[in-house]
Formats: sequence, C-alpha cells, structure tokens
Amino acid sequence: MNFSFTSYLKRLRSILIGVLIISFLPSIFFGIAPLQSMKLWEYTIENRKYSLFPDIFDKFFYSMTIFFTALLLGLLVALLLTFLATLLPRPLKRAVYGFLTLLESLPDLFIVIALQVSAVYIFKKTGLLIANVSGVYDNRIYFFPILTLSVLPTIQLFKITFLLMKEEQNKPYITVARAMGLGNLYITLNHVFRNIMTSLFQYSKTIFVFMLSNLFILEYVFNLNGIMTIMLNTQGVSFIITVLFIAIPFSFLFEVMESYRGGINVQKEDAA
Amino acid sequence: MIVRLLRQPQFLIGFLFIASLILLSFIYPSLMDVQKESKFLYDENEVIVGVAPFSPKDMPPFGTDMNGKHLLYLVLEGAKYTILITLVIAFLRIFFALFFSLFHRKSKSTFFDDIVQATLYIPTAILAYMFMVPLFVKDATEPMGMMTLIMLQCLILVGIGVPPLVSTFSEEIRSILAKDYIVSTFSLGSKKPYVYYKHVLPELSSKLLLLFAQQAIQTLILLAHLGVLAVFIGGSKTVMMGDIFNLTPATISLSGEWAGIIGQSYQKLLTAPWIILVPLSFFAFTIFSINLMIQGIQNSLKSNKS
Repeated sequence: MNFSFTSYLKRLRSILIGVLIISFLPSIFFGIAPLQSMKLWEYTIENRKYSLFPDIFDKFFYSMTIFFTALLLGLLVALLLTFLATLLPRPLKRAVYGFLTLLESLPDLFIVIALQVSAVYIFKKTGLLIANVSGVYDNRIYFFPILTLSVLPTIQLFKITFLLMKEEQNKPYITVARAMGLGNLYITLNHVFRNIMTSLFQYSKTIFVFMLSNLFILEYVFNLNGIMTIMLNTQGVSFIITVLFIAIPFSFLFEVMESYRGGINVQKEDAA
Repeated sequence: MIVRLLRQPQFLIGFLFIASLILLSFIYPSLMDVQKESKFLYDENEVIVGVAPFSPKDMPPFGTDMNGKHLLYLVLEGAKYTILITLVIAFLRIFFALFFSLFHRKSKSTFFDDIVQATLYIPTAILAYMFMVPLFVKDATEPMGMMTLIMLQCLILVGIGVPPLVSTFSEEIRSILAKDYIVSTFSLGSKKPYVYYKHVLPELSSKLLLLFAQQAIQTLILLAHLGVLAVFIGGSKTVMMGDIFNLTPATISLSGEWAGIIGQSYQKLLTAPWIILVPLSFFAFTIFSINLMIQGIQNSLKSNKS
C-alpha cells in the first residue's frame, strides 16, 4: 500500500481543469450566455427552480446507495454463477460463454426498459406488484433500481471471472493441488477464487465508469431524483459542483486501487 | 488480412447481418410493395374494430407505431441512417484521434489528459446533451438547414469520443517508439515521418480495426441514450397529436433513425412498449453482430501470432 496524497491532489486538479473546460465549451462554441436571472446554486427542471444545497447531499447518498448495493449484489451473483459454471461439463461451458457475449451486447437502455415493462406486464396480468417501478417525488424506491442496475455488471463480472477461471485452471499449482489429492471443490474455493479476486480488482475502474453511465439512464427512465438527474439539468457553476461531488470520492477510490495494484506489481517483480 | 478475416465464421456472420441490413434498407421499396400504414383495423363487415397503435399480435411482425406506420418499415428505413452515421462517426473519431496523437506526444500540454480525467465521471450521454441543447436553441432562433444540423451534431459526437482515444493512442505510440528496432532505425538516421509511416502505423493498424468496432458500439449506445433524452439526429419538430378533444404536443424526429423512433414514442412506453422495444432490439442485434466481428478479428490476430 503506497497511497500518496500528492498524486491524489494532482489528479483532482486535473479533473477540475477538465470540468472547467468542458462546462464552458458549449457557451464558447454557440455563444449562448447562461441565463442571467438564475442564481449560481439553482437549476431548473421543467420550469421549476430548485436549489442545489442542501438537497444534493441527500440525493447523492440516495444514488450512491443504489450504486454500491447494486455493485455488491452484482459481484456476489457473478461469483456464485462462476462457481456454478465451473461445475458444468465442457461443451456446456462454451455455450455459456457464447450466451454471455449475447447478453453483453444488450444496451443498458434495453435492459432497463425491458425489466420495467415486464414488471408492469406481470402486474397487469396477475395483480402482483413485485416492486414500484417508478419514483414519484418524495417516494424513494430501492428494490427495482438496484436489481436493474446490477444486471449488466453481473454479466460483465461473470464473463471476466469465467475467463480468469479458465486461465487459472491450467496453471501448475492447480496440477500440484490435484496431485496432492485435494478435492476439486476445495481447490476452486480456497485457491482459485482467491487468486481471481486480485485479478478482478484490475477491472474495477472500467466497471465503475460503465456503471456510472448506467446509473444515469436508470435514473432517467425510473424517474428517480438522484445526482445524475441534477447533473443533466445544471449548467455552469452548479454543474461543476455536481460533477465534483461524484469525482472526489470516486477518484479517491481509483487512486487507492491503483496504488494497491502498484503494490501487487512491485511484489511480483521482487519475486521474479 | 481480409482473406483471413473472411475465414472466421463469427466475423462473417456479423458482417453479413449488418451488410444485409443496410442493403435491405436501400432496396426494400422496390422489393416489397405492401401497405405501410394501417391506422384502423376493420372486421369482415367493414366496421372499425381497432385504432393504432397495434401490437405485434395484431399486425405481424412488429406491430405499428402511434400513427399506424408499420414498425418493420420504419426500422428498415432507419437502418441505413443509423448504421451509416455510426460508422462515419466511429471512423472520424479514430481518424482525428490518430491525427492529434501524432502531435500530442511532443507537446507538454495536458489538455487532453485533463479532459479525459474529467469525462470519466460524466456519462457520455450527459456530455453530448450539454453540447446538443445549445445547438437546438441556436437552430430555433436562426434556422440552419437539416444537413448543416446533422453535420454539426456528428461533429459533436465525434468530438466527445476523441480525447479518450488520443490518450490511448499516444500511450500506444509511446510504447511502440520505445521498441529496440525503432531506436536502431533512428540511430541509423531515418527521419521521423518515415518511421511513423513505415513502422508505427502498420503496428497500430490491427489495433485500429478493433478500436473502430468498439467505437461503433459506443456510438450506437450513445445514440440510443440521446433518443430517450429526445435529442434527435437531424433535429425534431413539434406537432399537435391526438384528436380534437385531446391535443397534445409531440416531438417528431425528422430523420428516420432508430433513436428517433424510440424518442418520439418514449412517453407511450407503458401503453405500447413494442414501439420502443423493437428498435431497441435492433440496436442490440447490431451491437451483437459488431461484437461477433470483434471476436473474429481477435481470433484471426491470435492465429496470426502463433
């Protein structure tokens, strides 16, 4: 672990400059000044004004609750599925992989809308409301957004762990463990899974960025009042603040991950 | 390279699907001469029994939209615009990124890096939306032609994708330039343009094809998102819809691309979900066939190495 605070600050400065450039580029290109009557901390949704503070904290935590619960759920399900998949016979494994490629191609929008429509359809047919599928102003829904948001990361993580597992299975230490007479189940649980978890760590940044984009479309379709809805509707200063709300904690996470990964690489080089 | 790619069944399937979709989209008016609209459904006594939209059950294969237009034709009509725009945007992104990264490596400015760092936390759809909305405002005050609007929108979509690509490319080029044989080429006295043309670009070329396909997928997803946000390529116009007692304004996409079909019926999601799910599943199939092509390319690269 060699986390350095200065490199984190450097990254933050870089983000800040980037957001500044991005937020002023549209008005430079098209020559439209931001609305003069607006205060700096205000944004409008459908002609109604809202103040950025202190609501943003609440909305931020709401979005992040959905985000991280979905991530955890996705990770757990993916690991469980991978574990089940390793028990399958060989030809079925190829079929699973092909099926995963098909699932991965589904756009996030498709999954969100399909799940919403099917929940409504089930409700219409049977009168059984699984969970609320749309947020109304103060009524916060959790179950369905989390479920929906976790679908795509599950698929991606499943595919990655599946591939890693296949790679891992051919390594010498597995052969040694087999030769020692250890059971297949024991090897998978105790050795392969542990090694995979460290490799899985490397993909975390890609998955985080991908999930943030998903979160946005989820909030829009389900009509949730989250941080991404604010980001869509703000301009200028309040836009920068909203982006920083997401950027500061997430860049911290990335920085920690990268320093951790650097630590692993250094260890490997020492060993080699 | 091309012959080897054609031997990959996955590449072939993906390629054939997309090619036939574009081809069908261009020639379907001369192939099928059936009615493209059915606003009302009559029974055998010529009595109206139903009004559009019809579900796929009533009007196979895909049903109709709110105005009774058959979705099959809408989707076919839109295929050429959607896929061609996507391919053009993906190509331009790669082209400009390559162009910039050749200069970027020398200069000390961190302009692109800063933007890349910031765009990690802003979903691309929001980014595109930020640039598109002022464009529409401007179009409303001083109208420009549809072609200009489409060009400007494509430029925005290209510009959004360029910075991340520049940073990938400059890293790639840096690692290629650090290779031993490049260093010795330099010490033998060859000029920089020669090295770039003769050594760097060929090494990149296999990666370029992969990146092109990935960019195409990202552009398709971005287009779908923008459709839901009611930002249409080619602009939109607001018309009054419904009967005389129930007039509601509706935005209609002017070009027929798939995202437009999604966006203009998005409010009707729960009453007529097939209008949205049909174009979305076409998006999904197109992305799937591009994924198949990617897999084919990767397989052929692997067999090339071994």
